[in-house]
Amino acid sequence: MRDLCRTAVDAALAAGAQYADARAVVQRSQQISTKNRRVETVNDAESEGIGVRVLVGGAWGFACSRRLDAAGARDAAQRGAAFARAAPGNHARALAPLEARSGTYRTPVERDPFAVPLADKIGLCLRAEEAAQHPGVKVTTAAARAFRQHKHLVTSEGVECEHEVVECGAGVDAIASGDGRHQVRSYPSAFGGSSAQAGWEYVEALGLEREAPRIAEEAAALLRADACPSSMTTLVVDSEQMALQVHESVGHPTELDRVYGTEAAYAGTSFLSPSDLTSLRYGSPLMHVTADSTTPGGLGTFAFDDEGVPARREPIVADGVLVAFLTSRETAEQIGRGAGGSMRAETWNRMPLVRMTNLHLEPGAGTLDDLLADVDEGVYVQNNRSWSIDDKRLNFQFGTQIAWEIRKGALGRMLRDAVYTGMTPQFWGSLDAVGGPETWTMYGLTNCGKGQPGQSAHVSHGAPVARFRNVQVGVKP
Amino acid sequence: MRALQLAEQALAAARGEDAEVVVQSEVSAFARFAASVVHQPTLIENDVVQLRLARDGRVGGAMTNRTGREALEELAARAREAVASAPADADFPGFAPPAEAPDVGGYDEETAGLSPEAGAWLAAAAIEAAQPFSLYGYFTSGLTELAVAASTGLALCHRATDAEVLALAADESASGYADRAASAVARIDPAAAAREAADKAAATRGGVQIEPGPYRAVLEPYAFAELLEYFALDSLSGLGLLDESSYFVGRLGERVFDPKISIADDALDAAGLPKAFDFEGVPKQRVELVTEGVARGVVWDRTTAARAKDGTTSTGHALEARYRRWGPQALALSVASGEAGSMDALCELVGEGIYVTRVHYLSVVSPREGIVTGMTRDGTFRIRDGRRAEPLVNLRFTVSVPDVLAEVPGLTRKRSLVSRAQWYDERFAFGYTVPGIATARFSITGNGSAPGL
Repeated sequence: MRDLCRTAVDAALAAGAQYADARAVVQRSQQISTKNRRVETVNDAESEGIGVRVLVGGAWGFACSRRLDAAGARDAAQRGAAFARAAPGNHARALAPLEARSGTYRTPVERDPFAVPLADKIGLCLRAEEAAQHPGVKVTTAAARAFRQHKHLVTSEGVECEHEVVECGAGVDAIASGDGRHQVRSYPSAFGGSSAQAGWEYVEALGLEREAPRIAEEAAALLRADACPSSMTTLVVDSEQMALQVHESVGHPTELDRVYGTEAAYAGTSFLSPSDLTSLRYGSPLMHVTADSTTPGGLGTFAFDDEGVPARREPIVADGVLVAFLTSRETAEQIGRGAGGSMRAETWNRMPLVRMTNLHLEPGAGTLDDLLADVDEGVYVQNNRSWSIDDKRLNFQFGTQIAWEIRKGALGRMLRDAVYTGMTPQFWGSLDAVGGPETWTMYGLTNCGKGQPGQSAHVSHGAPVARFRNVQVGVKP
Repeated sequence: MRALQLAEQALAAARGEDAEVVVQSEVSAFARFAASVVHQPTLIENDVVQLRLARDGRVGGAMTNRTGREALEELAARAREAVASAPADADFPGFAPPAEAPDVGGYDEETAGLSPEAGAWLAAAAIEAAQPFSLYGYFTSGLTELAVAASTGLALCHRATDAEVLALAADESASGYADRAASAVARIDPAAAAREAADKAAATRGGVQIEPGPYRAVLEPYAFAELLEYFALDSLSGLGLLDESSYFVGRLGERVFDPKISIADDALDAAGLPKAFDFEGVPKQRVELVTEGVARGVVWDRTTAARAKDGTTSTGHALEARYRRWGPQALALSVASGEAGSMDALCELVGEGIYVTRVHYLSVVSPREGIVTGMTRDGTFRIRDGRRAEPLVNLRFTVSVPDVLAEVPGLTRKRSLVSRAQWYDERFAFGYTVPGIATARFSITGNGSAPGL
């Protein structure tokens, strides 16, 4: 595969490219889903090919081939170069300098998920569902996944690196329905569970069977729960919902390509501008957000990104102030700072984009009880149910699966249909307590959409519980 | 057709087992631009083969994009392991029987032969027409083949083409949107789309906030189509009935919307992005979903139809096997037109309210109640005295779609094909054909950012 990448890069240079990179990818994934104690999906998918990105006369071109042979590599390079020449616009793209280097990375794995029989994976899902059976529950689902991507990257500037990434994930849902209501509870997180870069040991440690009875009981109880009242109140957010809050209201707006407008037509732009760097107050001084492509187990962990920039840990928001963007070599050069490091492509037939890697809200101090103790009246919310945020990542509305009222420092009655809304900097500015390391949990999601054609990125977020004052809760029409 | 040949080769690798093969072939080009410069040009060529095997109610599948004989043998081996691992499903309906697919068209020689360079020139034409605004969006065209073959004797293939221009004209304080999609490139005019976006953008400067609350509203087809899409996910799907997540649970045969509302799913419409059959090889048909405000039905695939246990049959709305857990989906919604001669005429019907060009980042808050939240963008205006008036900032709305459709002062005579493809995974062009709509009920729950980048 490395030789094929070299062939592609050579062909691109011969076709007039001033820069070229080639990624050869072989990947395999297994997807299992069960529903109401029967199998919905058992699929074992593989895909391979080579993608070649070229810079010709300052214009990008990208083409790919599913044929992993020299002819396919050369063909992709030449088509990419020809397409770049035809691209309209005044092109003047430059890349931040990068030292030539080579290296390899492999996910540390205790138990190869592809050595685990499919029957065992199906069994795990069915046992989780069995444990979620409850008279009030109408639908149960469970899912498990395994993924392996073997990738070589070669660039015309001397980068040569190889990655073998392994991911696993799983989750279970219980859905109750009655009296015109529909309530869902999930573990460990909504929309297919959570994933990590790890072997099957990650899935075994999740304890789906152990947690399934709890979520089933909660789903059924939600049918009888009172609706979350509408008020400006104190909001305590669990780590899973905080992970999404970080993703949507910090991760996406700090992607520098969005700041420069290149996602305007689809995912949107950002309320941030390049001049906000080191000056914009993003949130309260308790807010510390870190981009860390070295986090063990993170879905955004690697040795080099898809431009060959080495992985690193870097504060994005420190003491509540914006101190860095997520960048590519091109956007780093544009802003005149940094070297990139966030370029990732879903697979061989997509161009790399600026993507989150692992973006974490750093822990503070205290337990959930400690955070609740200072709340006279408020709402504690858990697990995402719906999410929406505007094209500049300012106005958001998130719904959660379950909530409890907080009264005089303790949790009270269960509430259904909780929704909260806000404007990003004001919301983060109202952060007045961040839970300690014991409340910090990392979640991995595999459906972060961006780009045209669309790409789904795999990213992780670690977050503790957190408390916000004066938040608008409950906006149902 | 090549995809069908490949499907038959994969079927042969299954060596007489109960088998179904789906092949998706794609040759496509994207000229994606931002600030009037192409920045993500992408050329894709791929063939994906999905093989599913069934034994005594057990079903398992495997996929590959390697197409040699050895690769297909390995594909069959992985599918055999999958099927051997799966418990039996007593309701598995088997693979689809042989069928004749309708001749729906959807293939255009010129589009099939459009070079990437020619696509780049069409992108350039749009960029030129958007001036003085910068243009963001893309021009894309593609040639796809979908083949479904099964050991039952089923053997279908549909070759299709598509082309789309998405145009967002914008600067720091203005933004406007337009989109054109068709199965033939000659039927879309990238420059006209860009001009529409630029004209809209020019009117959005200085957007002001409004007080949240209930408003009457006019929705352009772009906004109406996306709102319907999120409603349809649960409420127009047979799975939504089985799981009780659909608004139509217990309401079939009842009046649910204004009598002006009639909705069908019609993939046979040659003016849309037609499809001959679904991913199970079931021929497409027009399905009446709502007739003059009365809920008539939902769409089904073979799996959900079998689980309904009441004689229901597939309407030809199966997704790809790997996404089938989302249930059958209506991907060619068609809303009947009304009497209004223009969007301006809808404003007259509304009198006082808001005008929405496009919506953004929708999310289902409560599927059973049809509650959806999202933001407006790229052209939100106040309607005063029956006319489109001052621009507004982007607005958050949280609406019950049944409520939006409960009282409809009017719909336009003209309907537009609105692309809903996001171009993830394998290329599959689809869209809804809808008119503009006026509604008496649209709930604004907050103010967002101003128009512009």
